[in-house]
Amino acid sequence: MTTVLPSWLDVGEWPSRSSATGDAATLSAIGSESVGIREFASLISPHADRFLENMAQRAMAMTRRHFGRTISLYVPLYLSNHCQGGCAYCGFASDRSIPRHKLDRAVLLSELKELKGMGFENLLLLTGERTEESGFDYLLECVSLASRHFHNVTVESFAMTAAEYARLVKAGCTGITLYQETYDPTAYSVFHRWGPKREFLFRLEAPERALAAGMRTVGLGVLFGLADPILDCLRLYRHIHHLRKKFWQAGVLVSFPRIRTQQGGFQAPCPVNDTALARLIFAFRLALPETPLVLSTRESPAFRDGIAGIGITRMSVASRTTVGGYSAPPPGDTGQFDVNDQRDVTTFCQALRAKGLEPVFKNWDSVFQPSSDLVPADAG
Amino acid sequence: MNTNDTLKLGTFEFQSRLLLGTGKFSDTVTMVSAIQASGTQLVTVALRRFNPNSPSDDLFGPLSQLSGISIMPNTSGARDAAEAVRAAMLARELSGSPFIKLEIHPNPDHLMPDPIETYEAARELVKEGFVVLPYMPADPVLARRLEDVGCAAVMPLGSAIGSGRGLKTADLISLIVKESNVPVIVDAGLRSPSEAAAAMELGCSAVLVNSAIAAAEDPVAMAKAFALAVQAGFAARKAGLMAETATASATSPLTSFLSSGAQ
Repeated sequence: MTTVLPSWLDVGEWPSRSSATGDAATLSAIGSESVGIREFASLISPHADRFLENMAQRAMAMTRRHFGRTISLYVPLYLSNHCQGGCAYCGFASDRSIPRHKLDRAVLLSELKELKGMGFENLLLLTGERTEESGFDYLLECVSLASRHFHNVTVESFAMTAAEYARLVKAGCTGITLYQETYDPTAYSVFHRWGPKREFLFRLEAPERALAAGMRTVGLGVLFGLADPILDCLRLYRHIHHLRKKFWQAGVLVSFPRIRTQQGGFQAPCPVNDTALARLIFAFRLALPETPLVLSTRESPAFRDGIAGIGITRMSVASRTTVGGYSAPPPGDTGQFDVNDQRDVTTFCQALRAKGLEPVFKNWDSVFQPSSDLVPADAG
Repeated sequence: MNTNDTLKLGTFEFQSRLLLGTGKFSDTVTMVSAIQASGTQLVTVALRRFNPNSPSDDLFGPLSQLSGISIMPNTSGARDAAEAVRAAMLARELSGSPFIKLEIHPNPDHLMPDPIETYEAARELVKEGFVVLPYMPADPVLARRLEDVGCAAVMPLGSAIGSGRGLKTADLISLIVKESNVPVIVDAGLRSPSEAAAAMELGCSAVLVNSAIAAAEDPVAMAKAFALAVQAGFAARKAGLMAETATASATSPLTSFLSSGAQ
């Protein structure tokens, strides 16, 4: 069955015009004060690599103008690796023979305590696709508990209904991260082999449901490696503009995950190398000067240190992608993906400071969105 | 226009007419050095950057140690009046400061202030006894409405926060200055000291600067440059600028025949 894409995702002739970009168009796009899809198409083109340094300089100037010399830090917390999904690239897919766990209340509390002790205030809770063991109610309870301890709690999990998002908001969740993975429906259906995530449009429209339900932020992204990055970036750009038009108060964030080694020996059909990833990050910075751009510990220390503050403004650090990885790492367990930058908080913050960047742990206050009392205050 | 030598905010008086924002600096040491170099006596800090549980991540702690500097918390992050009022209450509890810089900018892309929510929150916060300084669009009518509900100053934007596009709203700010009975403080958008001087020459009582200092190559030197510019602009306004005319004053006027005895 062919998926009919909504008209707001239409990119017309821009993919072919992107590949036909010449020097003049690239230079004009780099110097532009208002980058639209025409300029963006030039900036993401591999042709722009010859002007990568110009792009980097401009990206740094714009990043500094809007975000100053700061990097916001967050930490991911994996609640569960139970999953009914069949994502071909994921270490948690339901056909992987790995030990499955979820955090019970006591372990969750000790994980929260561990992360709090490391200074974090910005917490991202993750699960796999919903299962009986770890479904919406479990996630809701975890959000409710976490939001009593952390100023900012966001969720990266399965696509939900509007009513479910509204309940998460009430529990203190301020935002969701939900990558479309790829905006190419054909590639999407190849890599999402079974499970509810096969529903391309249900996932595509989830950020809208979340914002309509009162979430403050949505984090979007493409999982680079799955499909043509040019088409994916153009559609991601359209998606962002669609959300901004519809929800003028929404905070949109863009992440740049790319496929690294996972269990199951998945090979990325359209790999994106360091230069290309940097170019795409710079292009998004020039096109969206005020938008937080996010980079995880999937990337190497050298790449992360290099791109911090010249496009990227928000980074995870000291991540464990195993369930219970902070307080009680299960022996022999493997994570959702391999962490490439394994530095601890202190070492990473030193690297940022050496670049003249201030790591910021708290950049939000729970007073703006107090959670309702789903969990008794003394429960912890 | 306020041409006295002190800046009066409610019952408080300040010698310096340069206010500083504290976000966006590379480290606390640079921030503190810039504050000291600027000679400012009033700095603003976002409640969301208060972190008493983690001193190394806390902006309020180091600021509260500085002698001769008053702290004005701000509500940046609030989307509406209710959130801003809650944030202001908590900020007062944590800081003990009577001042609140009211910031409600619900669109995260351009951070333009919401005039309706700002007005509602200002009214509420004045009733709660705060010295309220609202960040606002450069709208002369809104400025008078905010003055009428008891704000201690109005803070119209020069251009968008962090944009460095300067005094794009100069004509509107002139109107606000002309009609206001409270200090007018340009907040946001300034990039260069000359723009700060220009704002003072327009008759503003003070300017608030953050990005232009924090994002400069040498923030401490730039803080000093802004201080000098604000002083120069204020002195120029006091001295009275010569009148501006669209045409030259000819030394041999064409109309001289009218007084030369012609009938």
